[in-house]
This record gives sequence, C-alpha cells and structure tokens, in this order.
Amino acid sequence: MSAPTAARRRDIPQAVASRRRRGELNARLEQVFGHLILILVAITLSAPFFYVITTSLKDSGSLFHYPPQWLPIPPYLGNYQKLIFDSGFPRWMANTLFVASAVTTLKIFLDSMAGYALAKLEFRGKRVVFGLMLGLLMVPIGVLLVPLWSVARQLGILDTYWGLILPPLANPLGVFLMRQFILGLPKDLENAARLDGVSEFGIYWRIILPLLKPGLVVLAVVIFTDQYMSFIWPLVSTTSNDMQVLTVGVASLRAKGGVDFGLWSAAAVMSMVPIAIFFFALQRQFLARSLAGALKQ
Amino acid sequence: MGSKVATASNPSASLGSETIVSARPRRVALSKEEHRRLAHGRNARRELTAWGFLGPMFLFFCVFLVIPTVGVVWWSMQSGGMVTGSTFVGLNNFITLPDEVTAGAAIANTLTFALMSIPPALILALLIAMVLARVKHGGAVYRFLVYLPVLVPGVVAALIWIFLTNIDFGLFNTVLQVVGLPHQVWLSVGNALPVLAALDVWRNVGYWTIFFYAAVIGLPEELFQAAALDGANALRRFRHLTLPLLRPMIMFAIIIATIWGLQIFDTPLILTDGGPGTATTTVILQVWRYALSASGQVGLAAAISLALLVAILALTAVQLRLLRGRGGT
Repeated sequence: MSAPTAARRRDIPQAVASRRRRGELNARLEQVFGHLILILVAITLSAPFFYVITTSLKDSGSLFHYPPQWLPIPPYLGNYQKLIFDSGFPRWMANTLFVASAVTTLKIFLDSMAGYALAKLEFRGKRVVFGLMLGLLMVPIGVLLVPLWSVARQLGILDTYWGLILPPLANPLGVFLMRQFILGLPKDLENAARLDGVSEFGIYWRIILPLLKPGLVVLAVVIFTDQYMSFIWPLVSTTSNDMQVLTVGVASLRAKGGVDFGLWSAAAVMSMVPIAIFFFALQRQFLARSLAGALKQ
Repeated sequence: MGSKVATASNPSASLGSETIVSARPRRVALSKEEHRRLAHGRNARRELTAWGFLGPMFLFFCVFLVIPTVGVVWWSMQSGGMVTGSTFVGLNNFITLPDEVTAGAAIANTLTFALMSIPPALILALLIAMVLARVKHGGAVYRFLVYLPVLVPGVVAALIWIFLTNIDFGLFNTVLQVVGLPHQVWLSVGNALPVLAALDVWRNVGYWTIFFYAAVIGLPEELFQAAALDGANALRRFRHLTLPLLRPMIMFAIIIATIWGLQIFDTPLILTDGGPGTATTTVILQVWRYALSASGQVGLAAAISLALLVAILALTAVQLRLLRGRGGT
C-alpha cells in the first residue's frame, strides 16, 4: 500500500502543474462562454422593452411598415402627449403612488412592532398568533375576493382610499421578515437599556428601530413594489374613475375597446418609469426582495 | 427575566421556598399573597405591552385576512348576489360546480398553466444563476437586466405582449419573418395558454435567478475545490454537490412558484380575456366573473375560491413541514 502512495506522491507536482495550466485555459473559456450565455439571456429578456419603447415613438401609420423601422427617426411624441393630456393617466399614477406610499409607511411601523412582539416579548397566545400568521401567509387576495368585498362594504370603505390602503395591511409576510431581522440584532444595547429601566416602547423606538434600518428599507421595497403592481383588489373595490390606480387604469384602456397601439405602448412605458427609477436607486434592496421569502423560516 | 418571576409565583411545595431562599434571600420577606399579586400585576402589564405592540397589525390581520378566509366557507354555501342578498343553500354550489363547463375549464387551464410555466422558469433560473455565479466581471449589469421584467406589473406586461404577439407587426412574427418562417397566430385556441406561460417565464425567471444566485454563492467553496481536486468534472459537481445542497431552496421555489402560478389572473384578463372561448380562463378569472355576474353567482365564486384556498393552504403546510425539517437537522 505504501509503494503506490509514494509513486503517486512523486507525480503530484507535475500533475498539479499541468492541471493548473489546463485549468487556466478552461477558466478563460468558461468566462467567455458564460458571458455569451448571459448576453443572450439579457437580450432576450430586454427585447420586449426595446420593442415597446420604439412602438410608443411611432405614429400608428408607421407601425405597419415593412421592413419594420427598428428606430423611429424622428421619434413621434404624439402618443405621450395624448397619454398625459387626454387620458386619466396622471391621476392613476398619483393614486398608485399615494396608496403605495401610505401602505408602505403604515406597514413599516405595524410590521416592525408586531415583529418586535414576536421576537422579544412573551405573552399568552403567542404560539397561536404565530401559527395563524404562518398558516395564512400565502393566502392571496384573489381567493378572498367575495368575503373581502363584503367586509369592505360593511365597513363602508369600498371605492375610497381607505378601501385601497387598509386590506393590504393584513399581509403577515413583513411581520416574519421583521421578526427575523430583530432576532439577528446584537442584544447588548437592548439589555443595557432594560437594566436602565427603559420601557419596552422606548427600547423599540430608540434602539431597535435605528438598528433595523437596513431591514426596514428591504421591507419598504417589498411592500411598495407589491402595491405598485397590485391589480385585482383595486379592480374589484373601486368603481369611480377618480379612484382608479395605475394598473386598473391601464387595463381600462384595453377594456374600453378600440385599438390604439400608440397610446397603449406609451402607457406601458410610462407605467414602468417610477419603478425603474426606484430600482436604479435601490438595486441591492430590490434584489434582496427575491430573498425575502428565504429569510423567513 | 419574566419567567423567573412566574416560577417564583408558583410555590407549589415547601421545597419552593427553600430554593428561593438560597437563590434570592431578599425575597423571603414577601408572603405568598404578595408574591402572587406582584407577579400577577407584572404578568398583566407584560401581556398588555406585548399586545400593544402586536395589536394594531393583528387587528388588520384578523379583519382583512382571518375573517375573509373563514368567510369563503360561509359564502360558498350561499346563493345570490353580494348586494342583492343571498340565501343559504348548503353544499348545492359544490354539486353544481362540476357541471359548470367554464369552471372545469378554468381549473384545468390553471393546472396546465402551472405545469407549463413553472418548470421552465425554475430550470432556466437555476442555470442562469449558475453561470452568473461564475462570471467574474459585469455580474451587476446582468443581474439588473435579468431582474427588470420582474418589476413590470402584470397588466403592463400583458399589454406589452399584445404588441409582441400581434399577427401583422408583432415582434414574434417579425422575427419569424426575418428567419424565413411563416407567421403564427399566437393567441389562437391552441397557442394562447403556452404564450401566457411564456409571458410568465419572462416575468419570473429574473426573480428566481436572483434567488438561486444568492443560494449558489452562499455554498461552501471548499467542498467544490475538494471535489475538483478529486477529479469530479463540472457536470458531476453540479449533479452531486450543487443540486443536493440546493435542494431545500429548490423545494421552496417549487412550492412558492406553484402557489403564485395558481393565482394567475391579470395576464389572461388583459392579453386574451380568458379566450378564445375558454382557452385561457383561469380560476381567479372565473371567480371574478362569477362574483360580478348579473345573475348573482357569488356562491359559485366562493366555492371555486375555496377549492383554490384549500390547495394553497395545503401547499403552505407542506412548505412549513419542509422548513421545519431543515431547521431540525
């Protein structure tokens, strides 16, 4: 047994050297290949954006040109003019931004407080609350349309901003996110404060919240994006034109009948502008949104 | 801290006072009643504080999630409209539901859609994530571009796909024309559901790519170096290291993606309006139609919702069991 081991040991430096040389070439090839794949993926995924942007800059006549004009020169801005001055678009956008901001602000406080209770405080019924929230975590509004509508009607909040803002507050995902973040915070400051006789609210407000800031930003991004994209509840709960949010308004363009590709594409482009700006500004937190699900367990 | 007080308040035997004496000599002076009273006041205050923190969120949670969840069951046994008033009909809705052609089609379409959209999205996402994790430069740019479609609201995504699938000037047919293939009718009876699945893959692949990317770069590097030194090639490393290590993540993704996939509503509504015929009518789309229908089929809406609700709760239960299993090991 010792003889083969010795033989192999002698071979090792040579083998390693050749493997390393081969490895370097392989590594470089792998990089090139990887970039090729990723470029292909990126182009495929972005092509629809490019296409809708160019469509929005054409008048309806040149839409049907063959060969297709990839870049409309000069760009036609009539679609955007029509969208901004002749449709409900500005109102829809304002409604969406208002509702999404309100939900986000309220939920940051509600969820971090509830998360604090679940992470740090002992109380009767804690396990029941925790289990109930976990169990209903994935229940979507779409399934609850009928009873939710009936509850909202009884509360008299249908077709109001309250009706758009309050029901999304029920989603417990943020509570678990916050609980997880709070459990991960260092305990020294909090213990010191407790020894000094600071109240629980004082600890939450002056110690936990400041430490929680990175978590709060992630939570805010998660909630704001979800609200920005939410469709079915605003569709069902609002009836007047003034209450329409962006997604409902854009859908109404389609539902109204008649085909106006120019207007539709301009609406599609303009709808993406705010969220794209947020994405540029808060890329890291947005990507953490994908992980929001994984964090809770 | 609190629990110690609780045990002290519960001196069930004379042995209890003995231990307390040795542990906290200061407290011996308190009588049993005083003990109980103090601990009780403290407990009550503690409960009150905790509910003060939890209460506001819990109130909304109960009113807009717990009550409606129970409400689905109640409404599923009603007949009539939401405004006009309804009557109790027992399990009648569940008896008529299977005879409803559109309801059956909606369930079948939703399941088919999930099967067509989720496996490609997750497999592609995993592959892209693997490549993304190995590329040394420009990763941030790719991540940005891959994630962009995730941020498009479903309604807007569907609107964009109306252009893409247009027969005369749509991008898809333009590409076919450039390659020299005949035009396709993308939103026909046979094609519409696969097109919706493709739309969903386009929208979700970035989400899961980032999810898997974070998982992949979190894997222990040494294991892979050791495997490489032992002569395991990239494919075997993927098969025997990456996949088993990512198993919990993959299971998580499958379940969550299924739960989301079953809720598909906005893209079929905008892109095809559930058509042609019932080719792309999904469960939630049908719920919405029943609920809004003039003939007052709100009970049917709730009954079909209940089916979906049960499916989602079951999937959540599986999910929680898996997570608990991982936490236990």
